[in-house]
Amino acid sequence: MNNYTLVFIIISYLAVLFYVAFLAEKRRQSKWVNNPYVYTFSLAVYCSAWTYYGSIGIAANSGINFLPIYLGPVIAAPLWIIVLRKIIRISKQHKISSIADFISLRYGNNRFLGALVTIVCLLGTLPYISLQLKAVSETFEIMADETSYISTSVFDHSTFYVALLLAIFATFFGTQNTDASEKHRGIIASVAFESIIKLVFFLIIGVYITFYLFDGTTDIYNQMSASMENFKELITLGSVENGFDWFFMISLAFIAIFLLPRQFQVSVLENSREKHLKKAIWLFPLYLLLFNFFVIFIAWAGKLTFGSTQNAEYYTLLLPLENGNSFLATLVFLGGFSAVISMVIVSTLALSTMVSNNLIIPYGFLDKFSQNQTERNSKYIKNIRRISIFLIIIGAYFFYVSFSKELSLYSIGLISFVIISQLAPSFFIGLFWNRGASKAAIIGILVGTLITVYTLILPFIVQAYTGTDDFIQYGLNGISWLKPYELFGIDFLSPPAHAFFWSMSCNILCYLVFSLIAKGNYRERNYAEMFVDSRNFSTLQDSALVWKGEAYVADIKNVLVRFLGEQRATRALKIFFTKYNLSPNTQLADARLINFSEKLLTGSIGGASAKILIASVVKEEQISLVEVLKILEESKENIVNNKVLREKSEELSQLSSKLKTANEELITKDKQKDEFLDTVAHELKTPITGIRAATELLMDDDDDMPKEMKNQFLKNILQDSDRLARLINNILDFEKLETGRLHLDLHAKDLQKTIQKAVSSIEHIAAKKNIKIHNKTVHTIILPYDEDRILQVLTNLLSNAIKFCPKTEGNVTIDLKRGNGEVEIMIRDNGKGIPAEDHDYIFDKFYQSKHQNTIKPQGSGLGLAITKQIVEKHGGKIWAKKGRKNGATLVFTLPFA
Amino acid sequence: MKKRHEQKLVVLAIALFLVFNVPFVLTFNLGGAFLGIPTFYFSIFSVWLLSVIISYIVLKRHYE
Repeated sequence: MNNYTLVFIIISYLAVLFYVAFLAEKRRQSKWVNNPYVYTFSLAVYCSAWTYYGSIGIAANSGINFLPIYLGPVIAAPLWIIVLRKIIRISKQHKISSIADFISLRYGNNRFLGALVTIVCLLGTLPYISLQLKAVSETFEIMADETSYISTSVFDHSTFYVALLLAIFATFFGTQNTDASEKHRGIIASVAFESIIKLVFFLIIGVYITFYLFDGTTDIYNQMSASMENFKELITLGSVENGFDWFFMISLAFIAIFLLPRQFQVSVLENSREKHLKKAIWLFPLYLLLFNFFVIFIAWAGKLTFGSTQNAEYYTLLLPLENGNSFLATLVFLGGFSAVISMVIVSTLALSTMVSNNLIIPYGFLDKFSQNQTERNSKYIKNIRRISIFLIIIGAYFFYVSFSKELSLYSIGLISFVIISQLAPSFFIGLFWNRGASKAAIIGILVGTLITVYTLILPFIVQAYTGTDDFIQYGLNGISWLKPYELFGIDFLSPPAHAFFWSMSCNILCYLVFSLIAKGNYRERNYAEMFVDSRNFSTLQDSALVWKGEAYVADIKNVLVRFLGEQRATRALKIFFTKYNLSPNTQLADARLINFSEKLLTGSIGGASAKILIASVVKEEQISLVEVLKILEESKENIVNNKVLREKSEELSQLSSKLKTANEELITKDKQKDEFLDTVAHELKTPITGIRAATELLMDDDDDMPKEMKNQFLKNILQDSDRLARLINNILDFEKLETGRLHLDLHAKDLQKTIQKAVSSIEHIAAKKNIKIHNKTVHTIILPYDEDRILQVLTNLLSNAIKFCPKTEGNVTIDLKRGNGEVEIMIRDNGKGIPAEDHDYIFDKFYQSKHQNTIKPQGSGLGLAITKQIVEKHGGKIWAKKGRKNGATLVFTLPFA
Repeated sequence: MKKRHEQKLVVLAIALFLVFNVPFVLTFNLGGAFLGIPTFYFSIFSVWLLSVIISYIVLKRHYE
C-alpha cells in the first residue's frame, strides 16, 4: 500500500477518535458515556499491542505461555467485588488521582514514597510505551510499499510523528481540568470505542484465517501435527518445572491488572459508579476469552504458510497480505493501532498526573505557586502535566530507538510487569494490614526494584552496549552464583519468572520485617486505619483524621484560594460549615477542616504537596500513637453507639405504636361488648315481655275469655319462648365460635347433597311467601367439612335471601363454582340489594342496616356473624358481591383440603 | 450485595487459582484435540467460560 494512503488512513482514524472523545466530553452526563459497558470496554485497555500481536508470536514459537497473562485477570475479576470496590471507595473518599497518591496516602502521605512509586511506574511504563511504538513502526513497515523498505529513517520519523500525535491527543483531553481526580470522559469513551474496534477486527481476521484460508480448526490442527516434529511442546505445559514459570506468570498478571498505572486509571479513577462492577466482573473475562480464542489458529496458520521465515508476531498482517487481501490487512492494522493508541494515551495520562503531583510539584515547584494568582497557578499545574506527557512519550520513543528493536514485544511487556509488580506488597498488604509502615514499603520497593534491575534490565542493557552476553553467561565478575538469570543456582525459571520470584520474595520479606521493626508513626497509623477499615471510617468522614494544634480558618482559606480561586474556595468552606453545623464566622480551624482542605487540594497538586502546604500554615502538635488510636477507637465507638441508639429508639417507637393500636382495639372491643350486652338484654326482653303480658292476661280473667282468644295467647307464648330459645342458642353458638371453643367435625362429604338438604328444609317457608328457589348445582363435589355447620350456614344465607325478596315473584338462586383449590358457593336474590355503605359491616354481630330502623328488626342479628365464623373456621372466606344492581349476592368459599 | 454472596465470588477466584495452577492444571496436560482445539487449550477455555457464567449468575441474582 502507498505510504501516503496509509498516513491518510491513520490521520482520518485519529480524527474519528478525536470526534468520539470530543462528543463524549461535550455530553458528559449522557447515558452513552456513563454506562457499565463503556466502563468494561475501557478496562480492555489491558489488551495492548502486546495482546494484539505479541500473543501470536508466543503461540507460534513457544506455545502456551501467552495464556497466563490473561488467566491472572480472570482469577482477579471475581475478587473485584471486594478488593476493587474497596479501592474505588477509598479513592473517591480521598479524591485520589493516581496510584502513587494512593500508596503514599496509605503510608501517611509520605512524600518520598509517592515519588518512589512514580519512578517505579515510569520505569515500568516507558518500555511498555516503547513496545507500542515498536509495534506501530513495524506494522507500518509491513503495510507500506516494498520500495520504501530502503530508507528506514522515514519509518522512524513516521513513528515519531505518530507518537507526537498521541501526545497531543492525551494533552488535549487529559489536562482540561486542574483537578486530576476529575473524570476524563472523552478519553474513556474513545478507549472503549477502540476496545470494540480491536476485538472485532481481531475476530474478523481470526475467522478469515481459520475458516477461509484454512478449512476450520481441525484442518489447521491436523496439518500442524503432521508437519511439526515437537508439536506437543506447543500445546502442553511440559514439565512440572514449567509449572513454576506458569504460576509466576499468572501471579504477575494478577498483580498487573490492579497495579498497572493505566489499569488503575480506568478501573479506579475513571469509575463513575460502583455498580458498573456488576457488569465488568463477568464481561471483562469474556472479552479476554474472545480475544484469545483464535490466537493459536492464527499462529499455526502463519507457521504453516511461512515456516520460520517471518516474524510470527505479525502473522495477522502477513497472512491477508500474502493472499492479496490488503483491505483486511488494513483493518487489522487499524485494530492494532487502536490497541496502541488507547494504551499510550491512558498510560501517559496516568503517568503525567503522577509525575506532576508526586514528583515535580512536591519537590521544588511548591514555592512557585504565588499568592492570589489562581489562574496562573492552575495554568502552571496544567503545563507541568502537558510537558510531562510530551517528555514521557519522547522518552519512550528514545527507549524504543536504543533498546526495543532487538527485543520481542513479549519480553518487553514482561519486564514492565515485573517492575510494576514491586508495588504489590505495599499496595495489597497495606490494604488489609494496618501495621504496614512507610519505611518498610520504601525498603521493600527499593530492594525489589534493584533486584529486578540486576536480574532483568541490566543483562539486556549490557548486551546492547557491549554486544556480548558474557554477563549473562558467567555472571558479575565471573561469579557463577551471581548469574543474572540463574541467581544462586536457580536455573529452571525463565528470566522474567526468575526476576519476579527473587524480587517479590525479598520485597515481601523486607516489607513485613521492617513493618514489624519500625515503631509506628501516629499520622501513618491514622491513614492506615482509614484504609484498612474503610467501611467504618467512611462514616466518620472528615473526623477520621486525628489532628491537634493551632490553625486559623483564614490561613487555610488563603491556601485554598491559591489553587481553587476565591469563588470555589469560599463555596467549599461554606459547604463545610453547613455540613458540620458551624458558624460561618468560625476563627479556629479543627481537624475536620484540615482533613477537608487536604482532600480538596489532593486532586490538583497531589496528597504529599497538599499536606506540606497545609502544614506550612498551621501549627501542629505532636500526638502519641496511643492517643491517636484511642481517639479513633472512641469516635468509632461513638458512631456504633449512635447507631445502636438510633436502632433502639426506632424499635421503641414501633413498639409504642403497636401498643397504641392494641389499646384502640381493646377500647372498641369493650364498646362492642357493652353494645352486645345491651342488645342481648334488649332482644331477650322483647319475647319475655310478650310472654309475661300474655300470662298475666290469662291469669287475670279465668273463664271470661273466649277459648279462641285463650288459644291465641297460648300460641303467642309458645312462639315467644321458641324465639327466646333460638336466641339463646344463637348466643351460645356465637360465644363458642368467637372464643374458638368450637371443634369442627370434618368428614369428606358431597357438597351438592348438603345444598339439596338445605334447600328442601327451607323450601316450604319459601313456598308460603311465593318465592322460588333455583338450585343450579349439578356436579358432585367431595370435600371435607362439618355438615351440620355448613347446613347452618346455608340455611342462614337462604333464609336471609328469602327475607329480602320482594313480595311478588321472589327468586333465590344457589350455585357453585370450582376455583383454585376451593369451591365458591353463591346465593343470589332479586331483592333490593345491600346498600354500598353496609358492605363492610353486614357480617358484624347485631349489625342492622340503617334502612331497617323504620321497621322492626327481624332475626337475632347474629346470623351472618355466626355464618362468617363457621366459614372462616373451615378456612374459607365470605363476602357480599359489590356493584350489583338487582338483588344481593353472598358468596362463600370452602377449600378442598 | 450480601457478604455471603460476595464470598461466593471469592471462592470462585480461589477455585480458579487452584485449577489453573500446578498440580491441578497437569490433568489437562495431554496431547490430542477436541474439534481441532488442543485438549489443554480446550480445558482452560472451558473453565474460563464456566467462570464467566458463574459470576454472571451470582451477580445477576444477588447484586443490589
